[in-house]
Amino acid sequence: MAGSGYAHLRDSDDVVLALRDIVVEFRVGGGRVVNAVSRISIDVRRGETLAIVGESGCGKTTLGKAILQLPAPNTGQVMFEGTDLTKLPKEQLRSARTAIQMVFQDPISSLDPRMTVGEIVGEPLWIWGRGSEADREAKVRELLNNVGLDPELVLHRRSYEFSGGQCQRISIARSLALEPRMLICDEPVSALDVSIQAQILNLLQDMKDRYGLTMVFISHDLAVVKAVSNRIMVMYLGKICEVGSPDAIYSKPAHHYTSALLDSVPVPDPAYQRNNVALQGEPPSPVAPPTGCRFRTRCPAASPLCAAEEPLLREVAPDQFVACHHPRL
Amino acid sequence: MSTNKTYTVPTYAAFGWLTFSTFLAVFGPLLPVESFRTIHGDFLDAKPFTAGHWFGVDSNGYDIFSGIINGARLSLFVAFITVGIGGFIGSLLGITAAYYRGRYDSIVNTAFNVVLAVPNLVLALALVAVLATNVDINEAVPTWRRLATLMISLTVVIIPILGRIARASALTWSGREFVVAARSMGMRDRHIIWRHIVPNVLPVLIAVGFLAVGVVIIAEASLSLLGVGIPDGASWGGMIARGRNDLEYNPHALYFPIIALALTVISTNHLGDVLRGRLDRREARL
Repeated sequence: MAGSGYAHLRDSDDVVLALRDIVVEFRVGGGRVVNAVSRISIDVRRGETLAIVGESGCGKTTLGKAILQLPAPNTGQVMFEGTDLTKLPKEQLRSARTAIQMVFQDPISSLDPRMTVGEIVGEPLWIWGRGSEADREAKVRELLNNVGLDPELVLHRRSYEFSGGQCQRISIARSLALEPRMLICDEPVSALDVSIQAQILNLLQDMKDRYGLTMVFISHDLAVVKAVSNRIMVMYLGKICEVGSPDAIYSKPAHHYTSALLDSVPVPDPAYQRNNVALQGEPPSPVAPPTGCRFRTRCPAASPLCAAEEPLLREVAPDQFVACHHPRL
Repeated sequence: MSTNKTYTVPTYAAFGWLTFSTFLAVFGPLLPVESFRTIHGDFLDAKPFTAGHWFGVDSNGYDIFSGIINGARLSLFVAFITVGIGGFIGSLLGITAAYYRGRYDSIVNTAFNVVLAVPNLVLALALVAVLATNVDINEAVPTWRRLATLMISLTVVIIPILGRIARASALTWSGREFVVAARSMGMRDRHIIWRHIVPNVLPVLIAVGFLAVGVVIIAEASLSLLGVGIPDGASWGGMIARGRNDLEYNPHALYFPIIALALTVISTNHLGDVLRGRLDRREARL
């Protein structure tokens, strides 16, 4: 299958999160199964930001949620700090996963409209009974301050009184309340205005430094990803296409899909001539993915080999791994 | 930023009427009104606006004004209790089904659909017929048992109505990201349901609950008309059922209970609609 293989995995002590052969499938009735994520393996080192990039529906969000076991992957291992989260009993999982928190795409939907900001941010502390009521409020104030909101002004208001950017700040404050070691950001700025995006990205970077976080950053926006990540994983239809450092991926993408994605980024120059045709058509249905390489139906370099055999990830340059029979070199 | 708080005249009227009839229902027995059971033999079939009997007297000599006040208590009592209990059971089933999904959800949903497929009245009638009948047909069924049976039947009618609404609403809220966030923070399922789902589903339930009160009042009246309503014919429906026999020469015995019943049902329906319309005010943004 395209995008399987382990060549890109690192053997290192500071690997915090190691996903191994993650498969997530959903039944959609009529006996059909959606292959949202098909045997993905990846690792993240402490303090690193791994960006997961791909089109809508390629399984990025599902993979992010699978790390949190929400829902748990059908098969595969989620090793977090040496513990396989998929094997933990319910109660242990409940406390283990507080070390990993998530920031969601839709800032409105991530906050309960009936709760005040103070209640929302303090909720994780309430769940775990951390400190007295006064301690918790002090902690909530500190968190709100850290994300750039004035506690006096926001504490007793409800989420619908805030803009998307402010809601995302509240959401980030909540995700940090339990002092997690890993933050999964699922398209945290896609729903925001461009001017606000930069603020939130800077805030996430600040928080990452301040709390020593390891991040998984899910996005479809390559410009955003370039600004935040140390390592990029490009996904297509539930498979890995390419893994590598941002420099390698942006300067000389080896996978035809990565290159098409990069070419589709708008360039603010009216005289700019595209040297490549944009991707044609829609991705195939994940209910019946193509044989061999899943990208072959839209790939300019597809050959009979691509249909017959699935390319495995292999190293084409230092710290650049690609799953393609005919990489662009 | 403040939401539009203006209500229309019909809304005030509906609210006023419901408050008034609830007041009658609660404080009726304390009011200086003669018992509805007193027979006024000298005033048989008295027309409305007769001194001392402003709503008139029916063919049995019962004062209609007293009957209306007493009927308010029974009709509203039955309606609120059954909607309360039915709504509680229904939303418990509906909300948990929506949250946990899976086989439990299919079973609950199928059960709701099966019960809903039977017309309200037929269902209630069937339940009353089965539950309120003695094996020995010569032995009378005690009043409390008939009343209890009636209320259980109406509760069964209400459970799927409110249950389905609760399920549908809980389904959309369960999919929200703050629920996923709560689970990732380690919140227990029962706390998520109680703190995040129930408060968001409740307003819809209250709105539809008002509509359901109307449904139950009508259902009870219809059962009374068929002779299996609240025993002794003391509810509004019961008064209509009795008055029907003397329609030709004493129609006013029907007017007042019918007006009271209609006003109440229209009021609950209207208030339910108004509440339902106002619910989406927060969700309407963005």
